[in-house]
Amino acid sequence: MPESSETTVVLPAHLHARPAGQVVVTAAKFTSTVEIVYGAKTANARGVLALLALGATAGETVTVRATGDDAPQAVSAVATALQTTE
Amino acid sequence: MPGLPVRAGYHPHMSGTVGLVLVSHSPDLAAGLRELLRQVAGDAVAVTVAGGDDDGGLGTSYELIRDAIAEAGSGEGVVVLPDLGSSVLTAKALLADHPDPRVRLVDAPFVEGAVAAAVIAATGADLDTVSVAAEEAWHARKL
Repeated sequence: MPESSETTVVLPAHLHARPAGQVVVTAAKFTSTVEIVYGAKTANARGVLALLALGATAGETVTVRATGDDAPQAVSAVATALQTTE
Repeated sequence: MPGLPVRAGYHPHMSGTVGLVLVSHSPDLAAGLRELLRQVAGDAVAVTVAGGDDDGGLGTSYELIRDAIAEAGSGEGVVVLPDLGSSVLTAKALLADHPDPRVRLVDAPFVEGAVAAAVIAATGADLDTVSVAAEEAWHARKL
């Protein structure tokens, strides 16, 4: 039975190229489908261009949502990636 | 990677990822895009460039493309992304002369396709998946 999980993250920095790439690489380690929701827009975490097109900026809140067998772990890992600034 | 000319330090984590070749009329454009790909996708993906003509001017070079493909080559395959015009034609001619199922010329927007392909390649995706990711970049809206 696939499960669903979600959490919110306040972005410490704009969701620009590098963190978007990190989100894709992180999400790919899980079998669950991971989506990032920002306002009315939803992007699959498989697509870096869709993530960039969200236009999510520093200080904004995004929702990380996953569906699948490892949904809680996927949400946790992707949320951590979003909160990491380099 | 026996038999392939791998430049020392060029792709430090050379492993089981699909490689990318950027073919551009401009050496600066190809090098700049590669720099961007490194930031977005990290060092795990081999990205090589064939920019400009044989003399370093604007243009395309059959030999530079051939060498860039050899450098990017891993057992997982290579995606070749041309910018436009003669880059496409020269890459096409090269692959017609040297057909290899693991080397694929992909029809994609240069910057967006390269970014999408590099990031997916960094996840360890196969040649088909990386090619599709690049082609899907046609549908990515910026606004």
